Amino acid sequence: MQLLQNTKIDFIGKRKIGYIISGFLIVVGLVSLVVHGGPALGIDFTGGTSLDLKFQNDVTASELRASLSDIGFGNAEIKQIGLDQANEFLIRVEQMEEGTEAASMIEDELHKDFSDNQYEIRSVLEVGPKIGGELARAAVLAILISMLGILIYISWRFEFKFAAGAVAALFHDVIITLGIFSLLNLEISLAVVAAFLTIVGYSLNDTIVVFDRIRENLKLLRRDTFTDIVNISLNQTLSRTVITSFTTLIVVAVLYLFGGEVIHNFSFALIVGIVIGTYSSLFVASPIVLEWQTRTADTKKGKSAILRKAR
Amino acid sequence: MKLTCHNCYEIWQKNKDDQLDDIINATQTAVDQEGAEFFPTLEQNFRARNIDMNRYFGRKGQTNQDIISDLREEAQDAINRTLEVLRNRIDQFGVSEPSIAKQGSNRIVIELAGVTSIQRAKNVISSTAQLEFKLVEEPEIVWSVLDDIDRVMRIKQRGEALTDTTTEVAKSEESAAADSAQLADGQKANEEEVSIDDLFGEQPEEEAQEDTSLLVDQNTFAEKPFTALLRQIRGSGFIAVPQQNMRAVQRAFSLPEVQAVIPSDVEFLFGNEPLIYDDGQYQKLYLTKKEPELLGEMLSDASVQISGGTQSLSAGEPYVSMELNNEGAKIFSRVTGMNLDRQLAIVLDGKVASAPVITTKITTGSASIEGSFTMEQAQDLALILRAGALPAPLYSITENTVGPSLGQDSINMGRNSVLIGLLLVVFFMIIYYKAAGIVADFALILNIVFVFAVMAGFHATLTLPGIAGIILTVGMSVDANVLIFERIREELRSGKTVRAAIDAGYGRAFVTILDANITTLITAVVLYSFGTGPVKGFALTLSIGILASMFTAIVVTRLVFDIVTSRYAIKKLSI
Repeated sequence: MQLLQNTKIDFIGKRKIGYIISGFLIVVGLVSLVVHGGPALGIDFTGGTSLDLKFQNDVTASELRASLSDIGFGNAEIKQIGLDQANEFLIRVEQMEEGTEAASMIEDELHKDFSDNQYEIRSVLEVGPKIGGELARAAVLAILISMLGILIYISWRFEFKFAAGAVAALFHDVIITLGIFSLLNLEISLAVVAAFLTIVGYSLNDTIVVFDRIRENLKLLRRDTFTDIVNISLNQTLSRTVITSFTTLIVVAVLYLFGGEVIHNFSFALIVGIVIGTYSSLFVASPIVLEWQTRTADTKKGKSAILRKAR
Repeated sequence: MKLTCHNCYEIWQKNKDDQLDDIINATQTAVDQEGAEFFPTLEQNFRARNIDMNRYFGRKGQTNQDIISDLREEAQDAINRTLEVLRNRIDQFGVSEPSIAKQGSNRIVIELAGVTSIQRAKNVISSTAQLEFKLVEEPEIVWSVLDDIDRVMRIKQRGEALTDTTTEVAKSEESAAADSAQLADGQKANEEEVSIDDLFGEQPEEEAQEDTSLLVDQNTFAEKPFTALLRQIRGSGFIAVPQQNMRAVQRAFSLPEVQAVIPSDVEFLFGNEPLIYDDGQYQKLYLTKKEPELLGEMLSDASVQISGGTQSLSAGEPYVSMELNNEGAKIFSRVTGMNLDRQLAIVLDGKVASAPVITTKITTGSASIEGSFTMEQAQDLALILRAGALPAPLYSITENTVGPSLGQDSINMGRNSVLIGLLLVVFFMIIYYKAAGIVADFALILNIVFVFAVMAGFHATLTLPGIAGIILTVGMSVDANVLIFERIREELRSGKTVRAAIDAGYGRAFVTILDANITTLITAVVLYSFGTGPVKGFALTLSIGILASMFTAIVVTRLVFDIVTSRYAIKKLSI
């Protein structure tokens, strides 16, 4: 079976469409972020307590809320998760003053009020106030440091233009994924940040494969224009790009469907990231390199500069 | 569970005063809010106020730099000792394969699997277990101090001028005896409720909302505003504070005027368990010497014993028996010999666990702590005493508990996801790349085995994100193979022979694979260093997976191709 061989799609010619789509997605994402006042942060970052409890018999969220109001947690976030019959609830409360044992208080109160309805603790997460901010700082720092590392490495192996194109594509991917999360009001937990970092690394794969081909073709196809070379390279690598993204997508989709509640947002972030990442490798990274190339020098001269750099 | 030890420096202070507190608070705020580093900021704050650090720390003549480096060393030492103590405690707790690690300069991460009682584990881990033996002051001294406190409280209340202290002192000797009879003993007969305002004068805004009524004996309140808050427990000589008055009493203790009249060699301590009567709860109050006679370090052993039935314990009740080492036993013998008929308070973490009367000189070096312990509580206390006290208090930053059912579910889901994902990819590779696909699949399975092997070798914990990392590896390890195969297909299309196409394919693809995977590796490494527990696990499996896949794709599959093509004359490559 051979798919996508010898395609002749004019990626560069169609790049304006790409810009429009990307622009649209980015704007929508940013608007959503502004409207919601930033992304929805999980307690890893805001601090607080989250309990995952599974009751034996039926109980409603409002009954739970009434019970929690007695101990001052009336404004807790109570969400039913899993199947209806499972009677599993996620209770989340804000960070109280230092020293409050929110989890034990809630557990005791529920034991008291629902003495005839046993519940089982699936998980409890208590995060202190200080560490949340610290983790958020560390997360942003991590993303920036990786981008810097990548910038340096690609500049060394190719040329700065290419590095700029690659990193621009990465920013594009992260911002759009963040925007989609904000639109769907999905929580950003520590695991989701890990997913973002994975997307950064993974999306790069495709981009580098294309760049590598461009570098090679610059050597081989001396008579073609830069634009044509980029187009040819994109077409040549298309099947490989699609196949690898596809196989990884299969696997992440399995994770999303069968992996359970805990890593739901994590796998969703990966799915979005892989799709957007593949798209950006074709319609964002290379076009940016081209734009840079055509605007800073004439294409013939620029070509030789890259050739000198290339091995 | 993550714990932090950010009050380590408190131990090494001398000449504590308000100014020092200010500087330290300012430093701590900067650390909390701006993420500043503690020791450099501390030094800056000292310099900004033009004070030499050797006024409060270290020795005379030491420069700030010296002191900072000494403090750093002490802090490091405290963390290491804390790790040791925690390891001892957790070992004795009997948890299988616990993980206790330092994180950063003052954090500890503990992972315990298979713990059934979370609260118990938390208590055992974070209780400081500072054990001290302090002599309890004789009643005359207690009354005298209480009298002084009453005096300053009266002044504060009414703005009275200080009367001649000599007459006050003379008076207090007699009134002490008379007053002791006047203290109500737990009966509500003459009690009235007064507002906390009556005691302290003006109230600051924030406190106004709470219940501010106090229970006092109306006879004595006017003359003795502070003592009126206390009760004497009939028949035992204990002084106790009704639960309702606790806040007021503690607040009184914190007033500078009151602190000024409490002699510098004594301190007030509360009991660690309330007394429960029909009419409410009471907290025991003791006046003890500040300097401990004995410290917890001098314990050589602590164990749980069952009482045969004594004055204070009914038969069958557990208590904790302690053995002192040689040095401790000698000191204990001296102290008990010189202080017959006095009470010796056994103080645990600043609260009095018990204060038995010394009836004889004890030369055997054994002492016991009695309380209303359950067997479990006694065992935990003995465990903590055996393992040693923590050099500095620990605070919990994050706690994550996963119940057994969720744990089992996660295992199931993780396993299923890996199997299904693997199956799908294997299937796809065969359909798309035929025989070559089988080779790629073989490499893929080798990858996964390799990842598990390395993790087992490093004793790494498999977390749910870790499984996600493995699954991602499944998807990505195919990547390298696809690159090579697509290349080979291209070369075949351009007319090369099978052997030549394979060579060219591998040769060309190598560079691309390297570049692509190294960039992913960069992010995985950053993830590993910035991430905590589960994220670290993910980064680990991802990194191993990438390295393994590079190896199998470039070396292993090549080997297979070479073997096959050299054995059989392949005219058409099944790819």
